[in-house]
Amino acid sequence: MKKKILSVLLAAAMVSGTIAGCGNSGSTGTTGTDSGSGAEETTTDSGSTETADSTSDEGEKEEAKPAASGQMTEVGTPREETLIVETQTPTDVPGQFNTYMQGTQAGFGIHQLMSAMLWEMDTVKGEQYGEVADGMPEQNEDYTEHTVHIRQGINWSDGEPLTAKDVAFTFNMIMNNDAIGASTYYNSVFESVEATDDYTVVLKTKEPFPRLAQKFGVTIWGNDMRVVPEHIYSQVEDVSTFKDENPVVAGPYTVKSYDPLGKWILYERREDWDHSTTGVVTGKEPAAKYVWFRYLGDDTTRQMAMVNNEVDILCEVTPEILTSMIAQNPNIAAWYDQFPYATSDDPCSKGLAFSMGKGAPYDNKDFRWGIALAMNFDEISTNIFDGIGRASAWPILTGTSAMMDLYYKPMEDWLESFELDLGDGTTVKPWDPDYAERMGENLRNQGYDIPTDHDQLIDMFGTGCWRYDPEAATKLLQKAGLELKDGKWYFGGEEFVCNLTYIADTEAQAGRGTQAAYDQLKKFGLNVTIASESSATWDANGSTGNYDIAGYWPTGGITRDLYTVIQGYDADLIVPTGENAKGQGCRWNNKEATDIIHKLAQISPDSDESYELCTEFMKIAIEDLPFIGFHSGIKFVPTNSTYWTNYPSSQNPYNGPWWWWSCFKYIVNELQPVA
Amino acid sequence: MSGLSRASRFVWFARSKNRKAGRMKFSTYILKRILTWAVTIWIGVTIIFFIPRMFPSDPIENMLGQIEARSGSMDPVAKEAMRQQLKIQFGLDGSLLEQYGTFLWRGLFHFDFGPSLMNYPSPAGEIISTYLPYTVGLSGISTILAWLIGNFIGLLAGFRSKAKSSKILEAIAIFIYPIPYFIVALILQIVFAFLLGWFPLTTTINSFNGTAVFIQSLIKASILPGISMLLIGTGWWIISMKSLSASTAEEDFVQYARWRGLSEGRIGGTYVLRNSILTQVTALALSIGGVFSGSIMTEIIFGYPGVGTLIQKAILQSDYNMILGCITISIVAIATLTLIVDVIYPFIDPRIRYS
Repeated sequence: MKKKILSVLLAAAMVSGTIAGCGNSGSTGTTGTDSGSGAEETTTDSGSTETADSTSDEGEKEEAKPAASGQMTEVGTPREETLIVETQTPTDVPGQFNTYMQGTQAGFGIHQLMSAMLWEMDTVKGEQYGEVADGMPEQNEDYTEHTVHIRQGINWSDGEPLTAKDVAFTFNMIMNNDAIGASTYYNSVFESVEATDDYTVVLKTKEPFPRLAQKFGVTIWGNDMRVVPEHIYSQVEDVSTFKDENPVVAGPYTVKSYDPLGKWILYERREDWDHSTTGVVTGKEPAAKYVWFRYLGDDTTRQMAMVNNEVDILCEVTPEILTSMIAQNPNIAAWYDQFPYATSDDPCSKGLAFSMGKGAPYDNKDFRWGIALAMNFDEISTNIFDGIGRASAWPILTGTSAMMDLYYKPMEDWLESFELDLGDGTTVKPWDPDYAERMGENLRNQGYDIPTDHDQLIDMFGTGCWRYDPEAATKLLQKAGLELKDGKWYFGGEEFVCNLTYIADTEAQAGRGTQAAYDQLKKFGLNVTIASESSATWDANGSTGNYDIAGYWPTGGITRDLYTVIQGYDADLIVPTGENAKGQGCRWNNKEATDIIHKLAQISPDSDESYELCTEFMKIAIEDLPFIGFHSGIKFVPTNSTYWTNYPSSQNPYNGPWWWWSCFKYIVNELQPVA
Repeated sequence: MSGLSRASRFVWFARSKNRKAGRMKFSTYILKRILTWAVTIWIGVTIIFFIPRMFPSDPIENMLGQIEARSGSMDPVAKEAMRQQLKIQFGLDGSLLEQYGTFLWRGLFHFDFGPSLMNYPSPAGEIISTYLPYTVGLSGISTILAWLIGNFIGLLAGFRSKAKSSKILEAIAIFIYPIPYFIVALILQIVFAFLLGWFPLTTTINSFNGTAVFIQSLIKASILPGISMLLIGTGWWIISMKSLSASTAEEDFVQYARWRGLSEGRIGGTYVLRNSILTQVTALALSIGGVFSGSIMTEIIFGYPGVGTLIQKAILQSDYNMILGCITISIVAIATLTLIVDVIYPFIDPRIRYS
């Protein structure tokens, strides 16, 4: 009997092996994504070439295969006319397109393709520009009256012109409707919002409000201020419960159909696309007739769908998944077409945040600096994504390309001369500017093709990191009141135990960074523990300050003026630990920094004074180190050029690969069909 | 009546008394069972009302956290204003007892669970009712099919244990049953969806191009998840039925039936099956009740719509009303099916009486 069972098991294993062996060509024979054979390379419009012979660690790739014509998608559209984009989560409220009704999932293509924003973002330059607004707002001297001109020529998808009345109506609709989440805030800001003619809106604020465009326009992901058509929404009894199943929009696409179970939405290009927001702003017709946003599920399914050409754009994957997909389908690429693959321009740097409201030693800058210098960042970086990613060591401000040019590089001299007092009469210069060269060499030694040009290395690995100096770290911790006895650290007479928290179900970069930090601090000799929390638990604990040190990202930075990034660090907002935070949950209490935030609130974001104050703020933040930055947001966002090309990339960086941001509609404009 | 003899009158009286006593026993039994059913449900929903409120998470902070995670730090004034506004809107500003009272009245008696906090203001009940038919359809059909097939094979394997076909079927069941569900599901997905492309990798139900297209896409999307659940489900029923029927087949009354010259088919169908099936019926009732909780692994792997992932999301986002809605339905379903099985038991097994 045993022999029989064994033979059955072996037979099953052989069958599985045979099937797996035959199945290397993942790009064959699936619904709507069949690939033929033929050309060996696919050339993008930007001139970049994705060659079939580019290799990966996983072995030789297959040849690139062109799109097959005549295929239909599962929603009945021609595949070569359909751009398929992954959405990160399905919606439980399908057919709900009114973003002023809570629960609407704007990131399901709604704000990427349909919404009308007053100001959009050039993610490469770090500058805002008018989308519905014709230019930036004109403001009076004390910033209490703001005149916004509206672009002419934009029509709603039902043919009605978009005018100043729609804009004023939207502001007033929010203010007059308590059930809209932002209502209280809008009422606290605005005295009145009126359309003075068809294309001019005048907004009066109760207090000086110099950052109108930053607050009510896009700076990162999008903005909750989306202009709605007055002729539709004014007829609705309660806009907060109006689902808007057949939305009339100003963006270039409208809803063609959607899954009543919430897993996909099919968008169709407007026939009058030239009167849409992007049509008027750029004059370009989006080549994709249809954009199909679909939820794919778990990582395995996402990976298989991408390899089988059933999706053109995924949101974010790990480097392991990316390299595996590239090995199976050479049409798949990310920001760089080879190592390091990822873009480092996501403006949310990951690192360690301290719960300073808990008191000593977390509220002591010497303790925080001691932790920073106790960790070997080279090893941390290797542990996170094999050394991939731009170091972003500063607190709060992420080292995006724009911020590198605006802050990181200009402050290089100050950083190199910056010293820490170790408490025993000696000092240490904590800035290590050689990280990029060192990491470049390490990776070259491992066989990766890493450039030797200094500027390229800086772009890839950043301007530097905090020095690894265990001796200085020991002195700093002792200065902060910790004692080292028999290889153990004590604080207040008891052994010092510190917990590291990270969020379990999101951002692999943050989780891996915290685990790497745990290893480093353990190696240094601190008694640290590590725990993961669901994002729901973390949201409560992060707000109440119920943690010691957390792998989190209270960071940002994409525009020259940093007020919106730093305003939460206003010490006047601090509430006791245990209460929900009004500002940042880490409760950094610094009077100088707070004074700068207050000054910034009163001046123009475009002024030189604003830039000087922001620079000064960053110096204070670095000296006090409320957050230890590891890397800027490293994003492996894969694209598939079987059906569409000219995605933004390192060789063609006309935009960032932010498919989930509202700027996606400007990327869609640039994509070209392969067929 | 007057024409009846004394003896006949006595027999009639005795039978009538027995019938009355039987009816009394039956109604007392039913009343007791209904009372147990109600208490079970009340205890279940009370526990499920309080447990989520002990979570170390907060639906409002979760919502604010999500906003900040995707779009950067919020304006502190806007954040605080939204926090206060949501507290009122979500109905979380009343005392716990007030909230409990409202839930018992609305949720338990009217199946109105209030708004889903993660999809406010859409009613939780409305969202559940969108997904429940898919869960019940897929899991219900595969559970019943697995039960029928499994019990049939199990009966053959137990009753005719020496037959070659029984041994082969039993070997297959023993081989498949211990394999974790996700492995079976992944193998099916990789072979039939990824490599062969016969089925979609993830569920895409097309409901906008007519009923025929809808049904076609629904069937196509349901085959792999259905087969995976069937394969795993069948194994257990085979093994358990085989064990039950093998021991029944050794009973004296089965041997006696053979000596009486009854056919093997009749012995198997009437004597062995009927005496072995009782436990399986109870287990089936519990399995069908469990169908209402959804099959989270199937939903995740195949992207199949259902209440399993709805519960998971609700737990992760502290959507108290959604958790209550989904689990209350499940508790009521399991308790009710158990009640029904208890009531119909005597019809299946004449040896059982309402006492």
